[in-house]
Amino acid sequence: MSDQVVLTLRAPLAHRLEADAIVPDRFPALGARAIAALPVWYSGRPAALGDFFTVTGERSERVLVQGDLAWAVGLGAGMVGGELVIEGAAGRDAGAAMAGGVIEIRGTAGDNAGGALPGASRGMTGGEIVIRGTAGVDTGARMRRGLIAVTGDAGQGTGRGMIAGTVVIFGAAGSGTGRWIKRGSIVSFGALVRPASFRYACTYRPPHIRLLLRYLATRHSLPVTESQIAGRYHRYSGDLAELGKGEILEWAGA
Amino acid sequence: MQIDGVTIADTFAEAFTMRAARVVITAKNARWARQAATTMTGFATSVIGCKCEAGIERELPEHETLDGRPGVSVLLLTIDKDSLPQRLIERLGQTVLTCPTTACFDGLPDAPDRLRVGKALRVFGDGFQASKVIGGRRYWRIPVMEGEFLVAETFGMQKGVGGGNFLILAEDADSALAAAEAAVEAMSQHPGVILPFPGGVARSGTKVGSKRYANMIATTNDAFSPTLRAITESELPDGVNSVLEIVLDGLDVPSIEAAMRAGIQAACRPGVRAISAGNYGGKLGPHHFPLRRILGAAAPA
Repeated sequence: MSDQVVLTLRAPLAHRLEADAIVPDRFPALGARAIAALPVWYSGRPAALGDFFTVTGERSERVLVQGDLAWAVGLGAGMVGGELVIEGAAGRDAGAAMAGGVIEIRGTAGDNAGGALPGASRGMTGGEIVIRGTAGVDTGARMRRGLIAVTGDAGQGTGRGMIAGTVVIFGAAGSGTGRWIKRGSIVSFGALVRPASFRYACTYRPPHIRLLLRYLATRHSLPVTESQIAGRYHRYSGDLAELGKGEILEWAGA
Repeated sequence: MQIDGVTIADTFAEAFTMRAARVVITAKNARWARQAATTMTGFATSVIGCKCEAGIERELPEHETLDGRPGVSVLLLTIDKDSLPQRLIERLGQTVLTCPTTACFDGLPDAPDRLRVGKALRVFGDGFQASKVIGGRRYWRIPVMEGEFLVAETFGMQKGVGGGNFLILAEDADSALAAAEAAVEAMSQHPGVILPFPGGVARSGTKVGSKRYANMIATTNDAFSPTLRAITESELPDGVNSVLEIVLDGLDVPSIEAAMRAGIQAACRPGVRAISAGNYGGKLGPHHFPLRRILGAAAPA
């Protein structure tokens, strides 16, 4: 057993790599050879994880993946625990349908991070995704529970159809953010075009935001300011075309 | 044994196992946190008549609270584990939820026994409430006219100790009160302990039952009542004309002992003749606090 498992990309990927085998909660039972033998699909053909990554360490639910993984799809998808750190970009579906654990992406995240797998009605149902960069479209789409924090901009349809949970966007949010959400919170510190089906409720200092932002600062070292922690927020309720119990909280300054 | 001329009686305080919860109340500023805590711990001196015992444990600076605001830590204890959640629900719902700017957090997050207090309070939101999981713990956001009340979904419960005590036997009422005030001041710095009576002091110590009224479960402690010295089996030494009691509840025995030690030492001052303690012969409570042993532990070799 080692402190963590490190997967280092041997060579840049040129095609789509289905990497949903990289799920930290499965790794405590696996030695280095078993990890290297995990099945993946590359450009539509079966392969082994070890064909693309050098595996260091074994039997740990802390996993560090190094390299530009913009072509890697489904990193941490469906994970229920453990910690996955991606040192670089991540492809689409990172953390899709995850139920627990933490994913940290130190780079750009592809589309549908924390979202739902094809045909599924629910996205992530628990856990946390921290994206230290920009996020693609449909980030957190249809999520049921959990937390996603994006330090940069988030793409179109972020939080689309959320059932519950929280998405925090420190940059700008793409069009359609929050559309069709039932419950849940989208916290915005940058530009955001609200769907027309959200209605202004009030401007106040939400007590849970203090807790949430302090948590993000202490647990994930996000650069949260005191004016954000203690600040005022415009609350918009929506989506009124749906249940209407969701909210967009727009930071309104100190 | 004497401390500064004050006799330490060769007796012990007898205390009981209770169930305890720690509630952390935060607010916009210390004033409102204190206000909520004071209101919540009102009418909670004794389980005999109040169904629970509660008090302020200590005030918390911003850096010690989850939301970074000033806070107050409150301990609330009941005789049995079944009644603790109900007392919490009643008191948090009526005194903290209603108090401007407050939020309410669990002060025993590692306790395995969980009480669904916030989950019960959430229905005040009439369906408009919402939950948030932050750092693995669920909180409820209850909409109120001011804005929102945030409360932890569950609160931890653990065994506690109720009924630690000592008696200050003084020459007169002024001396007894001054000694009691000094004791309370010294004990208020100790974590894990509360003094549930008014200002930490009880003037009406009790004995179990009644000599005259069958329905009374506790009546005046006539053995320590100066006005009854001549007509009852008094335990008051000569020269004692007033007695005050300090009652302590706490999360564990060491906390009680440390606070008793500090309190008794502070109470040994001019005008005080002796320090004694209340017990029931050692047959009722599982926790015994022999005064001389407790104080001896702190004495220099």
